[in-house]
Amino acid sequence: MRTDLRLALLLTRGSDRREGWRVTLTAVGAALATALCLATVAVASLQGQYHSALAAGLLEQPGERAGVVLTLLLLLVPVLGFLGQCARIGAVHRDRRLAGLRLAGASPAQVRRIAALEAGLACLIGSAVATIVCTPVLLRQWQNPPVTVWADCAGVALAVPVVGALVSTLALRRVVASPLGLVRRVRPSGGRPGPGLAVLTTALVMLLTGLAIAPRSFGGFQTAPVPVFTVVILTGLGAVWAVGASARPTGRLLAGRTGNPATLIAAERLRDDPWAGARTHAAVLLVTVVGTGFVGVRQVLLDDLTGRDADSFPTNLSFYTTGIDLTGAAILLALAITLSGLAVGTAESLATRRRGLAAQAAAGVPQAVLGRALLLETALPLAPAVALAGAGGLGIGVWYGQLAGGGTVPVLPVVVPVAVYAACLLAAATSLPLLRRSVRPAELRHQ
Amino acid sequence: MSTPLLTARDLVKAHGPTPALRGASLELAAGEVLAVTGASGSGKSTLLHCLAGIVKPDSGTVEYAGERLDLLPEKRLSELRRTDFGVVFQFGQLIPELTAADNVALPLLLAGTSRAAARERAGEWLERFGVRGQEALRPGELSGGQAQRVALARALVTDPKAVFADEPTGALDSLAGEQVMTALIHTARESGTAVLLITHDAQVAAYADREVSLRDGTVADPGALPAGSATSAAAEVSR
Repeated sequence: MRTDLRLALLLTRGSDRREGWRVTLTAVGAALATALCLATVAVASLQGQYHSALAAGLLEQPGERAGVVLTLLLLLVPVLGFLGQCARIGAVHRDRRLAGLRLAGASPAQVRRIAALEAGLACLIGSAVATIVCTPVLLRQWQNPPVTVWADCAGVALAVPVVGALVSTLALRRVVASPLGLVRRVRPSGGRPGPGLAVLTTALVMLLTGLAIAPRSFGGFQTAPVPVFTVVILTGLGAVWAVGASARPTGRLLAGRTGNPATLIAAERLRDDPWAGARTHAAVLLVTVVGTGFVGVRQVLLDDLTGRDADSFPTNLSFYTTGIDLTGAAILLALAITLSGLAVGTAESLATRRRGLAAQAAAGVPQAVLGRALLLETALPLAPAVALAGAGGLGIGVWYGQLAGGGTVPVLPVVVPVAVYAACLLAAATSLPLLRRSVRPAELRHQ
Repeated sequence: MSTPLLTARDLVKAHGPTPALRGASLELAAGEVLAVTGASGSGKSTLLHCLAGIVKPDSGTVEYAGERLDLLPEKRLSELRRTDFGVVFQFGQLIPELTAADNVALPLLLAGTSRAAARERAGEWLERFGVRGQEALRPGELSGGQAQRVALARALVTDPKAVFADEPTGALDSLAGEQVMTALIHTARESGTAVLLITHDAQVAAYADREVSLRDGTVADPGALPAGSATSAAAEVSR
């Protein structure tokens, strides 16, 4: 272990500016994840009636606290997506380095340990900072916290770096498997849908069976978070799968028929690496499901609240609207995080392909064509996935409307996937200035 | 005739639908310098990868010192690459984050040698390859010839039984290529290390004791193992 730690430190010390960015952003992501987990642990540990000046009384009753816990857990999804994007910064460079270690005689286990130490150390820094900052804040808000909560907080602070290290190890499984790394990449034969479809189908069948057999316990108000969370995750995963699964046939179809150079380049890129979009857009798609679903639920709730007699409310209307607005703000924050991750991912993809892009430019492909191809690479596979994610979110809104009994069919959520799609294209467009730099002939000299 | 150090029999390997090796057989004697030549796409690099235990053949056997490399677990193959084998490619095998000295010391560090001892030994090898004074430079700061000599030092630092060199001079000018080849062959002769040299350059192949040609994934003429005498350019280097 000492040898591995020494090598991990040597490699980190010798790494370039991009690696520095990866460590910094990973630490930021880990800090965000730790802060959310600590807040979840703190809120979940509260028992019975509790008075707090925070969040307009949303933490006072156990019922509302369950909703807050669910929101905090959902917020973790884009943060984890952001962490995933950060892990991809300089990925090709890092893969080569680790493959080099394997070539020099490092065993698969040694490479895994070194990679885990590199990622784990960055996450540990973020986790430690978040814990140090959050603990006094929690202490100030909390009256007599139970001892077990401190153990939970310590567990969170340690679990985040461990999870970060495990995810990093998992991401590097192909490099670990071969000392040649990704140098000789064999294109998968395609045609088979992969295990993702089977898992999704099974989970959906289980959910629908549950709803059919026990609609009260599975589809009632009390247990609403369970099916909502399940639908969000399943639709999100389905949308991510749709990006990858639709990319190759779309690419094949377009490549065979188009006469437009930009479309042809984009189509061939989709055929070559159909899962690139799925990796880049996973978090955005999950936020789309959550966002669409939230806007639907919000419309149902507001229609219900404004339609009632004011005397029937035991508390002020702002108690409800504050909760809704805070949730909306949290989702907007999540969207901002995922769009940042998307911009990072697109820029990283460009940096990785800069030699190929420079070669295309040197061969006479106009920069405008490459720019359009870049946008099409994002736009083509994302369209069906965003539509699916939006449909899932809309389904949540409609279902909630039926549960509420008001017969309201929310229409506002339809705007969300359209807005997210436009925002994704905008985020992809932010990397166009980088494209201009990448296509310089000097980039041909880089390995 | 010498005893083979490494024996490959009927190797078959495909990359996806593309066959690279179609029944290649080869023997490498201890201390021998063997050149494998052939056109692009003939399967030279894949053969080297199979012999060095970097990739496993789809069928066929590779035997080294009584062990079947094609059956060994990854952990043991890694250990062999760390102790018994050295690998040199055309470029790209040095780790950009490590200095020249740390790159050479890497196999020793991986084996658990202390950093001071590993760096001292790396210094000795850098001196032998004429790149002393460049210890603190990273691969990106070295010339192509210097980087390749650092790679050779790394391949030989553990006193391996065999070095696998895939087009080691492919990215160098003729003068730098000659320096690299002279250094490699001279050191291999001194230490009795066998060298398997992949090349399409006749001048580079002339450094070898024996030359075999690969065509469409098979060895066209395996030839006989040498009786022990070095020939041609290799003989000149050893003198």
